Amino acid sequence: MPSESHDCACAERESLFVPREAKILHAHAPTSTEKHFTLQFADGSPLIFEPGQILEVGVMGYGEIPIGIASSPTRTHTFEIVVRTVGRVSTAINNKNIGDSLWVRGPLGHGFDVDALRGHDVLVVAGGIGICPTRSLIQYIADQRDDFGRFVLFYGARDPLQLLFPEDRGVWRATHGIEYHETVDRADISWTGNVGVITTLFRNTHLSEDTRVIICGPPVMFEFVIRELDQAGIKRENIYVDLERRMKCGVGKCGHCQINNKYCCIDGPVFTYAEIHELEEAI
Amino acid sequence: MSSFYIEERDFGTFVNTLAQNTRVVGPVAKRQKFVFGEIGSVEELRLDYDITILPPKKVFFPPKQVIARFDADSVEGTIAPVDTVLLGVHPYDVRGIDMTDFLFRERNEDWDYLAQREATTIVASNVQKVAPRAFWASMIDTNEPKGHDAYLTKLDGGYVFETRTPKGEALLARGAFRDATGPEVAAAQSVNADALGQCQEQLPYTSAEIAKTIRESFSNEELWDELSKDCFSCGSCNTVCPTCYCFDMRDVWNLDQKSGTRTRYWDACLTKEFAAISMPGGGHENFREHHQTRFRHRFMRKGAYLNEKLGSPACTGCGRCSMACTVDIADPVRVITTIMEWS
Ligand SMILES: Cc1cc2nc3c(=O)[nH]c(=O)nc-3n(C[C@H](O)[C@H](O)[C@H](O)COP(=O)(O)OP(=O)(O)OC[C@H]3O[C@@H](n4cnc5c(N)ncnc54)[C@H](O)[C@@H]3O)c2cc1C
Ligand code: SF4
Ligand code: SF4
Ligand code: FES
Repeated sequence: MPSESHDCACAERESLFVPREAKILHAHAPTSTEKHFTLQFADGSPLIFEPGQILEVGVMGYGEIPIGIASSPTRTHTFEIVVRTVGRVSTAINNKNIGDSLWVRGPLGHGFDVDALRGHDVLVVAGGIGICPTRSLIQYIADQRDDFGRFVLFYGARDPLQLLFPEDRGVWRATHGIEYHETVDRADISWTGNVGVITTLFRNTHLSEDTRVIICGPPVMFEFVIRELDQAGIKRENIYVDLERRMKCGVGKCGHCQINNKYCCIDGPVFTYAEIHELEEAI
Repeated sequence: MSSFYIEERDFGTFVNTLAQNTRVVGPVAKRQKFVFGEIGSVEELRLDYDITILPPKKVFFPPKQVIARFDADSVEGTIAPVDTVLLGVHPYDVRGIDMTDFLFRERNEDWDYLAQREATTIVASNVQKVAPRAFWASMIDTNEPKGHDAYLTKLDGGYVFETRTPKGEALLARGAFRDATGPEVAAAQSVNADALGQCQEQLPYTSAEIAKTIRESFSNEELWDELSKDCFSCGSCNTVCPTCYCFDMRDVWNLDQKSGTRTRYWDACLTKEFAAISMPGGGHENFREHHQTRFRHRFMRKGAYLNEKLGSPACTGCGRCSMACTVDIADPVRVITTIMEWS
């Protein structure tokens, strides 16, 4: 069977799915299950992104998974991710060390609309690994503090050993520009802070109705946090949710991340609550 | 563009010459059924088929498609389209291809699909024998959907060959075509009009009515329980569907364990783990845990979400899913009619 290969320009067109090589410049394990990487593209090109966007990160032979970008977009020559060991691909990633490569596609999706936050009070509610994607926004706001109103940050984890970013937390706690509150579901003997689910932090914090809120955490968290925000009189269009769905392609094709008529990978992962509260299956 | 005519015996020579120089894919017999396969000579071509097991989407979107090859320190894309003539595609399948063209192009152009699509010339053909569960007459409202380069209609003793694009016109040079006469063109039109009347099932609703009513049915648990109660989540209805295009991506090692491929495989939203995410500590969260919600998602996609984008349901009326479903609950005519009439 003769098969002439086709020689029009479309043969040179690029695949959406071929990743780029990124070198691991730093790697450390802040907890027993997470690893924090600082990466740089092997060809030296910068990663230009908005806070809240994601990457497909992989190890060839094992696959790739969606991961939030955990560093500020103001530093583009290197970028950071934190990966929690969950299954096949995340384990392969977390077995890599300084000098090794990861294979990356992105940035993908739709991040936080920082211009819409500018000039307003901001509350970030981050549960568990949800602190990682929001860290890009936290750093961004901290760097341009004067552009924003009051800045409140709630961070909750299962237990004290699961709290990520110890150096950052020190800074957040000590910086008067940030009202930082943390909580754990289960304390240990060393813990003197708040114990309880993240919504318990709302008790001692009064929020203005004009506050812009960002929520990122496990699926179960959203409903309870939104209930608190409703009581505080915060409008749906001022609430941003960072949603998690199974992903394969990251470019709106494979169908895995679909929520009603939206695709989490390209219409999100950041949505306003107004956009999705009527979409069945969203929250 | 224009209408031509080719005698039966010249048609044989045309197909044979074509197959000697280009990859030709068309309907061929496989035991009692038909499939789209590569054709070496005209004897294999079965333009009298009723329906193929799988739709022709597999030419551009294969069940298993290598996207990239890797070794220890490099990764390379594999886009390498091959000039192809896709021959004998029924109008409803042309419509299916036209929909997937749109979906692979919108928002992010997927060249792993589009490159092969652009390297392919599509010759549609009239339906000589209507499949028992087909209802395309009420889905594509015309025998002339967009997306083909030429259209072949079988008459006694020869074929009317209508060119639709320059790509289709280029085929004229490969065979003994002459201008079609007025009566030949009229005969082809009437053959095609007759086929429209032969679909036994039909779905007599407008696209807008379907989109609206299906969307409104979302929270009707009783309805979706009833429609899906026998579903065992096998995903066959997805696999045979010309407009289903969900996929999975998997890396596969070669035997050396150093090199391998990143490959995409057809996937099915009816299967249980399609929307499941893994949680730390070995747990899972499934956004469509029950077969009702997965079955509903399929019809929401076809009847509402994609309908709103495409201007018609993402269903061509081919009837493949009706035949593929062991428990016979997938038939869109039955499902959509039940939704429309539920009160
Ligand atoms: C928008 C977004 C941002 C994320 N950000 C981070 C982050 O910053 N750090 C982090 O550690 N994790 C993050 N995750 C979760 C991470 O993608 C999953 O933990 C990971 O996919 C699990 O893959 P695995 O192969 O190790 O697990 P397996 O159980 O082997 O999963 C098999 C496959 O299912 C899919 N899958 C399974 N779970 C998920 C999931 N939770 N989300 C999406 N796809 C899934 C993946 O394609 C995966 O390869 C994020 C997820 C999303 C959707
Ligand atoms: S839903 Fe069924 S009838 Fe409609 S195009 Fe798909 S397989 Fe054919
Ligand atoms: S509807 Fe039928 S073919 Fe489709 S998944 Fe259910 S049992 Fe399988
Ligand atoms: S991850 Fe494939 S459609 Fe969103």
